[in-house]
Amino acid sequence: MNILVVLRMIPDSAGELQLAEDGRSIDREWLDFQLNDFDDHALEEAILLKEAGGAKVTAVAVGEGTNRVLQMAAARGADEVVALQAEEDAMISSREIAASIAAMARAKSADLVLCGVQSSEDVFGQLAPYVGALLDWPHVSGTNRIVANGAVLRVTQERGAGVAVTYELATPAVLGVQTASKAPRYVSGSKLREASKTPIGRAAPESSGFERSAEIITLRLPVQGGSGENLGGDAETVADRLVSILAAKGLARN
Amino acid sequence: MKLIACTEGHSSKIEAFSLEMIAAARSIAQAGDEVVAFFAGRDAEGASASFGAADRLIVARATKLDVIPAETYAVLLRDVVTAESPGLVLVPYSANGLDVAADIAARTGWPLISYVNEIKRHGESLTIVAQMYGGKVLADCEVQLPAILMINPGAFAEAAPGPIAAASVQTIDAEPTLASGKVRMVAIDVPDYADVDLTTAERIVCVGRGIGDEASIDLARNLATMLGAEIAGSRPVVDNGWLPKLRQVGKSGQKVKPKLYLALGVSGAPEHLEGMSQADLIIAVNTDPKAPIFNVAHYGATCDLFDLVANLSDRLRAGSGR
Repeated sequence: MNILVVLRMIPDSAGELQLAEDGRSIDREWLDFQLNDFDDHALEEAILLKEAGGAKVTAVAVGEGTNRVLQMAAARGADEVVALQAEEDAMISSREIAASIAAMARAKSADLVLCGVQSSEDVFGQLAPYVGALLDWPHVSGTNRIVANGAVLRVTQERGAGVAVTYELATPAVLGVQTASKAPRYVSGSKLREASKTPIGRAAPESSGFERSAEIITLRLPVQGGSGENLGGDAETVADRLVSILAAKGLARN
Repeated sequence: MKLIACTEGHSSKIEAFSLEMIAAARSIAQAGDEVVAFFAGRDAEGASASFGAADRLIVARATKLDVIPAETYAVLLRDVVTAESPGLVLVPYSANGLDVAADIAARTGWPLISYVNEIKRHGESLTIVAQMYGGKVLADCEVQLPAILMINPGAFAEAAPGPIAAASVQTIDAEPTLASGKVRMVAIDVPDYADVDLTTAERIVCVGRGIGDEASIDLARNLATMLGAEIAGSRPVVDNGWLPKLRQVGKSGQKVKPKLYLALGVSGAPEHLEGMSQADLIIAVNTDPKAPIFNVAHYGATCDLFDLVANLSDRLRAGSGR
């Protein structure tokens, strides 16, 4: 089985985000870029499938810091790594890159395309259904378990409230991974060093093929705060206040 | 212009966000427009009894399956879109919607905006407020019709539930499409809440990514025990395997409404807020003062969460020994 897994580098939204001067993007100068969490799980699922039944895993990365993440992917077990060129300093829109991923899936004779179910930049739509529809392959998003039995995939999808639905479908297919069957593995420094020799392929992007798209006019930060009370940043004071708040509401055990 | 509001329901239960989709469509419908609700599933009666706020209802009726695979839902919806030529299709941000919205967008070529909170109409175009970067940024977008929107649950108040006139209901048989579908449902697992049911818990201590590592979960667990609370986690914590799935709060976990919700190192992504923003008392501790969790918290603190847990535990321990 040939698996193509997509790795998107996105701004670390756990950190502080600032708006760029043009008001239409975020200021990328001081941002940390990291692998989209869900894509990390997609990579893990790809490697788990390879270990379970044999597969050739091709990782394609897009965005800032792709070399670093592709070395990591190779260290974790990807057989081939490719950097998809993209417009510099631009957000990664799934709508824009879907045609490139679909073309690469065909070029690599992929049986399965894996990507994270979402990214924090996919405001114009999610990657798995775009790629699935462009290839006319079935797609399932929100998976937390993928088992391959030859060309038949058994896929479990999270539906909320802990409900899980299991589907069967045949390859070729596109899956949007929520959670890998096992938590993503760590790789040792020595493996990373070894993998740093893996040659990184380059791929030029395809045109999205969409004539019309929505447009971001401005970005803004949400108005902060609601009506909550700020207890400050001193742990001792905060603890004192919380104990009395909880006690007043009968919620502390003391 | 026709506006199609996509709805869902499983196990004879109509999803509440279905009524929000109808309300969203209604909120921008103009004189002469028609709001058409689309439902695919087994509970055709429930749909007819609930979606009276729409002008018309198209039901793709299944007879066997409780859950329609999104792939089949999308095929059925595509046929409806082709037949009706709507100006706008509203899809809920749900497990199903995540597969349906971009599928329709790719096949029609129509623009799509996801994670939508607000819609304003200006003739043939819309201005939209959408969430990005885990709710930390709002995007003001513009889109020309026809278009597709994926709407955040909770962004619009539910339309009043009520029956729709039988003459306004059109029923399609979904079975042939299901039979030829490429994705077949084989099982539904409903969790066993014998050990833990967060939805009925009175107090919850929830840990987020800020807890740092698995070993630190124990500190939060001890605090929870002292407070008589259940321990819970946000998605990153559960995905890392630090807490079991049954203890996840949020969109793909449980929706909870405890008397006390103490959030430790939880940033408050929209998907998390969807699961807990209705709690009676929300206390949030996060070193990032811009974390969206503070938008729903009644009390917030920006101190180090480990210092706080230590100090709070000391005080509660001292208090209980009195």
